[in-house]
Amino acid sequence: MISVKNITKTFKNFEALKNLSIEVVEGEIYGLLGSNGAGKSTTINILLGFLDPDIGEAFINGINANSETHKARKNIGYIPENVNLYPYLTGIENLDYFCKLAGKNYNLEKLKEILIECGLDLIDLDKKVNTYSKGMRQKVGIAIALAKEASVYLLDEPASGLDPLASTELSSILKKLSNGGATILMASHDIFRVRETCNRIGILKNGVLVKEMDTASVTTKELESIYIEYMKD
Amino acid sequence: MVNIIINEWKILLRNRAIMYITTVFVLSLIAIVWIGIFQNNNQKDIQLSAQKHIRNQWDNLKPMNPHRAAHYGSYVFKPVSVLNSLDDGISGITGNVLKLEGHIQNEIVYSEASQSISISKFGKLKSSLVLQYVIPLFLIFLAFSSISSEKQTGRLKLLIFQGISLFKLIFSKSISIWLYGVFLLFITITIQALFSTIDSETIQRLIFIFISYSCYYFIISCLTTYFSSAFKNNTSALSSILAIWILWTIFLPKIWGNAVEKIYPLPSRQNFKSIMKEDRAKGIDGHNPSDQRREQLKNKYLVEYNVDSLKQLPINFDGIVMQADEEYGNLVWDKHFGNNYSIFQKQKRLYQISGLLNPFSSLQNLSMGFCGNDMIHHLDFLKKAEEYRRYLVKSLNDKHAFGGSKTGNWKWSADNTFFRSVEKFEYKTPTIGDQIGHYVIDIFFLLFWVMITTLLIRLYINKNILL
Repeated sequence: MISVKNITKTFKNFEALKNLSIEVVEGEIYGLLGSNGAGKSTTINILLGFLDPDIGEAFINGINANSETHKARKNIGYIPENVNLYPYLTGIENLDYFCKLAGKNYNLEKLKEILIECGLDLIDLDKKVNTYSKGMRQKVGIAIALAKEASVYLLDEPASGLDPLASTELSSILKKLSNGGATILMASHDIFRVRETCNRIGILKNGVLVKEMDTASVTTKELESIYIEYMKD
Repeated sequence: MVNIIINEWKILLRNRAIMYITTVFVLSLIAIVWIGIFQNNNQKDIQLSAQKHIRNQWDNLKPMNPHRAAHYGSYVFKPVSVLNSLDDGISGITGNVLKLEGHIQNEIVYSEASQSISISKFGKLKSSLVLQYVIPLFLIFLAFSSISSEKQTGRLKLLIFQGISLFKLIFSKSISIWLYGVFLLFITITIQALFSTIDSETIQRLIFIFISYSCYYFIISCLTTYFSSAFKNNTSALSSILAIWILWTIFLPKIWGNAVEKIYPLPSRQNFKSIMKEDRAKGIDGHNPSDQRREQLKNKYLVEYNVDSLKQLPINFDGIVMQADEEYGNLVWDKHFGNNYSIFQKQKRLYQISGLLNPFSSLQNLSMGFCGNDMIHHLDFLKKAEEYRRYLVKSLNDKHAFGGSKTGNWKWSADNTFFRSVEKFEYKTPTIGDQIGHYVIDIFFLLFWVMITTLLIRLYINKNILL
């Protein structure tokens, strides 16, 4: 479960988040929509424990993400906008290395299985990552998060730069995870992808959560209109 | 930590540019050490044959007056250290041949620099040059982007997110870069050990050299990774660490060295000689002329042998006078050279203090010292050579005085058996166990910097660098 309680965060004179509160329950995919500078990444960074809020608290499965960072992180799988891997290592070596850092010692078969599950072709597993497309790297990034066997997933613009097929694959992986009980928070600009993937959507504007809705209650067209309406002034 | 180190090495080994550079480094180091050993052995052979020749000449002296033999004198050679090929320290400029004769303490001459052609006067290519300048510089180039590039690509967040602490990650990266330096160092030391004739003393010295350089590489690796993590981009990290490297290797040694010379100045060569001459002429306390001393000595011997004139003495008083004069000269020398020696010691100690700001100077001191080519080893040789000169001259004067001749008989000759009986000069370089006390300050500062750089990463790296 993800819980953001009345968080305010200021950078010098800029108020990035103003009394933000979000709750994402087990098995739910929450899409955080907003333009650049709306506070999406700041929210993710607070949940990741990279930033401390000025006021308020953030919890991952009931663990304070800022005072018990290390403990909280054990529950999180994180997929950034750009998954930059080690270019001289193969996809499988990258996954193996990141898994080992997380204390997971998988055998080769298991590593292959995870990568294939994330949509990577068998033929690409032993290729060096410097030959990979952005989509392929993103898939390895998802594999790294999956291999951690986390219960909470934080995704910062995960579909940015991905082709439609890769984006659809990402959506289905996330849905599969949520069906398995995972809690997912996804920050994005992509209205269509958020509508396709998430159960609930929040629109963030200038650090304030201006609108929250269930995806089932809106069509993509309606969501687009609502979003544009809020972004206007 | 082990996983990070293995991963870093895997990446390093797959980087072709680094592999090419490493190959060049390894081949260069092997060549430099091997050529150094070859030159060393050559120099040693030449020295041995010259020494043999000199001793041969002495052993085959025709019967002659011992005082003439004292003027004929002998030559001693400062032995070439086995580890000269690693670091020749000050040996290239101090000279290595010393003429020993009566009445006078000559200066050591024939330094390598004085005999070189102009281009090689700037110093030979020794492994110390590569080990002290080139490898640390390469470690800097390897480490300066180790964390900043992880930051710039966003990979650092991903790594930290796997549960590893920032300290562990940065420290492991420092260690993996440090190991690269240690690898090159190990090759150098191994080649040195394999291709030269070494004994347990040399092995001990090599171990100390290995530890000293390892510590310095650790300092460089940790400091560079610290800068790499503390700065936002690669350029800032690289320029900052390069500025420190230049300060350590170029400016601080010169600035501190000049300051040390100003604080504890040595008398100029001219001044030293003229004061010595003055003291020798006037007497050690400045008001005891030599003729008075001769008169006192004469009276002492006349009373001792119960005779009225020098001609009645059963011994040759000229030999007694010459030895007394020699001993007086020795006192003058001890006073002035002792003064210089104490200034050298003070200079060295003050220079060693610079290790507080500059671990490079501690490394240089240790490298020269452990290779047996620093001022401490040089002064030890001069001291032993002077002791031998005193033994040689005393043997000749005693022969002149008590060998059977009478006062004034300058034509009396000692036979060849006597000259052969005079022991030859055999110099043994002091063991590092005996000398280690001189290097405690340098060792302390090097370890101090190891601790400081580790603490720097431990205490001053926080999660702010991740953003």
